[in-house]
Amino acid sequence: MAYDEKLIKELEGKAKILRRDAIEMIKAGESGWVGGSFSQADIITALYFHRMKHDPQNPEWEDRDRLIVSKAHCCETVYAALGEAGYFPKKEYQSYGKLGAILQAHTERIVPGVEYSGGSLGQGLSFALGEALAARIGAPKDKSGRPLPRFRVFCIVGDGESDEGQIWEAVMAAAHYKVDNLVAIVDHNKFQSSGKVEERINLDPLPEKWQAFGWDVAEIDGHNFNEILSALEKADKVQGKPHVIIAHTVKCKGVPSFEHKNLHFCKLTDEMYAEAMEALK
Amino acid sequence: MKRNYVREPLGEMKTMYEAYNEAMLELVKKNGNIVLLYGDFPRGAAGELFQKDYPDRIYDVGIAEANLITTAAGLAGAGKMPFTHCHSIFAVGRAYNQIRQNVAFDRLNVKIVLCNSGMLWTFMGGSHQIIEEIAALRAIPNLVLVSPADPVETRKVTKAVAEHIGPVAIRLSNPPVPTIYEEEYPFELGKAVTLLDGGDATIISTGMMLADSLEAANILAREGINVRLLDMHTLKPIDEEAIISAAKETGAIVTVEDSSIIGGLGGAVAEVVVENSLLPMRRVGIRDRFGQSGTVAELKVEYEISAQHIAQAVRELIGKKKSYR
Repeated sequence: MAYDEKLIKELEGKAKILRRDAIEMIKAGESGWVGGSFSQADIITALYFHRMKHDPQNPEWEDRDRLIVSKAHCCETVYAALGEAGYFPKKEYQSYGKLGAILQAHTERIVPGVEYSGGSLGQGLSFALGEALAARIGAPKDKSGRPLPRFRVFCIVGDGESDEGQIWEAVMAAAHYKVDNLVAIVDHNKFQSSGKVEERINLDPLPEKWQAFGWDVAEIDGHNFNEILSALEKADKVQGKPHVIIAHTVKCKGVPSFEHKNLHFCKLTDEMYAEAMEALK
Repeated sequence: MKRNYVREPLGEMKTMYEAYNEAMLELVKKNGNIVLLYGDFPRGAAGELFQKDYPDRIYDVGIAEANLITTAAGLAGAGKMPFTHCHSIFAVGRAYNQIRQNVAFDRLNVKIVLCNSGMLWTFMGGSHQIIEEIAALRAIPNLVLVSPADPVETRKVTKAVAEHIGPVAIRLSNPPVPTIYEEEYPFELGKAVTLLDGGDATIISTGMMLADSLEAANILAREGINVRLLDMHTLKPIDEEAIISAAKETGAIVTVEDSSIIGGLGGAVAEVVVENSLLPMRRVGIRDRFGQSGTVAELKVEYEISAQHIAQAVRELIGKKKSYR
């Protein structure tokens, strides 16, 4: 499905801002999670600037859609999205990772707009499940008796993170309880901290695994906004199952000289900063 | 010697889980935010009511303790008050990081019911009898830890925990325990209850060991030794004032628990004592051993936590008191 050209251009522009701001943050903090922040940047953009129902002026709005970034170390593009949306002033970026900062090395609920204090991988999907269940409690029902949830919950999960058993505990429970207002997005950038996912613990066949667990599955190019928006729209329509979007992404996407390198957590040198800012002009 | 709030004779035997469910049945009528979560665990009367009348407020996630605790955290994140139910050994053991990171870190309003708590879980054996839970949980910031002694106190604790805003872990023992307390007595989270006002030594007890501590006090009274007996139901935040007064006014302290003395109630009391006064102390509890199958009575003797062992510890301390002065 093709969306309006203007919309796509807008979102691509926003994603570039997010990547640039993330680099500024990492420069201020001297180190950061370049690879995973960049691979998820387009998905984050689509969620905060198109799909999710939320209000930066009212972060506690009870019926807001929620995003839980379970791979919480990839915090910089999350912070950049929230800063760009107006949840907090962008001057906070300069304090990233410093004593007293709200912008810690792993996302925490102390940041306006952040729903989940992460850092211990494998847990965010359970948290997202809990929030999704809360949206259904006391909700009105349609003619068939299906609850009409008050809000939707999105959860970005890492591919390396999918090694954790707890991910699959949540996957089973979500399918069992037919939590169809829960959308998981796997940022499948093919790397984890110590190397390639296929060399550590091979996840293939990944879509089939989620399908076998009872989820509605989509597989997309995680950097193609038409595909991202289309998958998110389809996830709204399928009832009775939770949804997973397996997004094939590139670690460090956005700066060609970094792409496909496993810059998981790295110091940002002056050269790297210059290369990045040049690519993200 | 005057006994405060104690039934004469002691009342009916009942399990803490049953008493907890009695309290929950009342609470659910007033609090629409309560959600019950289970890790493949028996429902109890409250769970059965929810299954029937509030089916969207009760979930069993199966044998998956990590998912249990973190799903509860997510519910709390969206404004609910979840109570989780599974065996203490697996909540603390398998979901320790989840308790620490998903619940305590952000002070989320999750109530973790540690079912079948402590060593005295009889038949199940060493793999299920948790001895390390008090030590492990005390070290987590923001987490309130409470251990009621009998069915009356269990009901009061349950209601107090529902009023408290923030994470709480509740130790509920497995075996039926005698009803010690009268229905009405002053209860406040964080404040030890003084059942006996003696001055020769203090016994500080937590959880179901209160009955044995009371029996030990009776044995000692017949020998002319009058102890102060404190029910330390709240392990964290511990009632430091009560400990310091007991140290000053009675000069010897015996702690009693069905968990490891390393870091348990004994450790917690010793921490307060050593920073405030010097006095002889003895920790009665599990001495760094795993559990095994047996009856409650057999286990108390085997692990040296029976009323006789408690009384003997007090006798030995009375002798030592003089050398500390």
